Amino acid sequence: MKTFKYLFLIISFVCSISMFAQDANALDAALTEENREQNAEQLAETEACGAEQAKQCCLETAQGVCGNATAQCAQQHKSSVWSDVAEFFGTMGFMRIIKAWRSGILQVIMILVSFFLLYLAIKKQYEPLLLLPIAFGMLLTNLPGAEMFHSELWSAFLDENSPYYHSYGEILKHAGLLDVLYIGVKAGVYPCLIFIGVGAMTDFGPLIANPKSLLLGAAAQVGIFLTFLMANSIGPVLELCGASADLIASWGFSEAQAGSIGIIGGADGPTSIFLTSKLAPELLGPIAIAAYSYMALVPVIQPPIMRALTTKEERAIKMKQLRSVSKTEKIIFPIMITAVVALILPDAAPLIGCLMLGNLMKECGVVDRLSKTAQNELMNIVVIFLGLSVGATATAEAFLNVRTILILLMGILAFACGTGGGVLLAKLMNVFSKDKINPLIGSAGVSAVPMAARVSQQVGQEENPSNFLLMHAMGPNVAGVIGSAVAAGVLLSLLG
Amino acid sequence: MILAVNWGHVLMVTLLGFLLVFCLLVVLIYILKLFGYLMQPRVTVQPSHDPHETVAHKHDEKEDTATLTGNATAAIAMALHLYYNGIHDEEPTKITIKQVERKYSPWNSKLYGMNNLNR
Repeated sequence: MKTFKYLFLIISFVCSISMFAQDANALDAALTEENREQNAEQLAETEACGAEQAKQCCLETAQGVCGNATAQCAQQHKSSVWSDVAEFFGTMGFMRIIKAWRSGILQVIMILVSFFLLYLAIKKQYEPLLLLPIAFGMLLTNLPGAEMFHSELWSAFLDENSPYYHSYGEILKHAGLLDVLYIGVKAGVYPCLIFIGVGAMTDFGPLIANPKSLLLGAAAQVGIFLTFLMANSIGPVLELCGASADLIASWGFSEAQAGSIGIIGGADGPTSIFLTSKLAPELLGPIAIAAYSYMALVPVIQPPIMRALTTKEERAIKMKQLRSVSKTEKIIFPIMITAVVALILPDAAPLIGCLMLGNLMKECGVVDRLSKTAQNELMNIVVIFLGLSVGATATAEAFLNVRTILILLMGILAFACGTGGGVLLAKLMNVFSKDKINPLIGSAGVSAVPMAARVSQQVGQEENPSNFLLMHAMGPNVAGVIGSAVAAGVLLSLLG
Repeated sequence: MILAVNWGHVLMVTLLGFLLVFCLLVVLIYILKLFGYLMQPRVTVQPSHDPHETVAHKHDEKEDTATLTGNATAAIAMALHLYYNGIHDEEPTKITIKQVERKYSPWNSKLYGMNNLNR
């Protein structure tokens, strides 16, 4: 019953947006060829009135002089009530879908996809904090006539021959609400702000107590690079299978796109968004959705892989108690990590720097207000903006294609490879180490804090209920955050 | 199309990238280990010269390292519980001074101030 209530609310919202989206047409009048076709249709409508003035005005509109669409023209020159009513119906989202039915069907499918994601977020509670705004952003961007997001503006932003090339000022002249919010993604601001919040909520104590955890965090990044290789090989494999050139061009991925797909294996949403916005912004929607969906599915994806790669005895290993970590160590740690990582790999500095800034605010104890703000208000505000703007990039043209399915498939493979890499390295470390390591904590090397650590704890307790692996797993888990940020920096420096 | 993919570069990015991540994190491990070693608290105990005391000390040390029995653990837990929860009586935190309620403010009522004071 609750589900129906939510669906009813969403549907009524869609209707109201469609009805009141009359003025939005003017926004992209100067930009698209499609708009000129629309103007021609408006001309045909006004011809029906038989008014020579209206005809003249709409001709001007078609030449981009007036800047306003039929709404103004017709109000000036038509007196018939019926024509006003017909015109109003023409501006409705439903009519737009019927008029341009080919693109309309795709938009309807995308709206249904957004409903499904909203269902997953609300009913199944799969990462609802992010999936809900993402799904809603997807809904808003696919409403015909609402014009809240203009993907063509952002394509022009990357086109060297366009007046919009790298010009936020030009973009803002024609921007909708979601375009304005998207600037934060494009400039790489939101992921970094989220990392400040993540840092302020993370305790690096288990990692400082057991630095070897960093090895597990590094091993779990193997999924990123294997997937990068896999995504690059799709084109050649298709060619070997005898696929046509068009098919290869539409299904294959460039190196930069492959790097962005690979980073899904890091299981770190903000890092995935940060890297994709720099390397392959056209894939931002599918990649963000894949990254956050798989993070939510950690308890489903990881346990079978963990069980398959370990024996019963290995899963029951009890680990030595971690040493206590002093406050001074916790304060020096973020400063030291930032300095070392940024000096070795400057491209990783924005993510690592923000993560460690948040952590320093938490640990130093003198800026409690800032720490609390970063953990709560700042984090929540940025999550809303990020979710909405990432969802907005999931337009029908960008999302409904075979590439999206390939991205989702490779994303899950990346995730599985990362999990396996961590578990296998933990097993290898057991061969050389005096103190035994439970290989289950290796799977927590993919970031997904703290879900992956919780999964290690649960699977460990299935074998030995008196075994508490949570704190041991938190070490590789936070090491995974550092590892995936470093991997993003490496990919950015090698492919950017 | 096979030639369109620069396999040399792709393999270089894959191997070098993973190696870089691994090396950087290994460097961090050594730095953290060094850091932990430097931050470790060190307490030096002067060795005693008295032979009797030394024997007694060794005996105590042996007792210290022995595992705690259930009784001892329960006693420590009880002591901690009493220390944190039962050391003081609960105070009601109510102010017990009787408040005087007056119908009019003494600041503006001369009559009230002169005749109707509670003593």
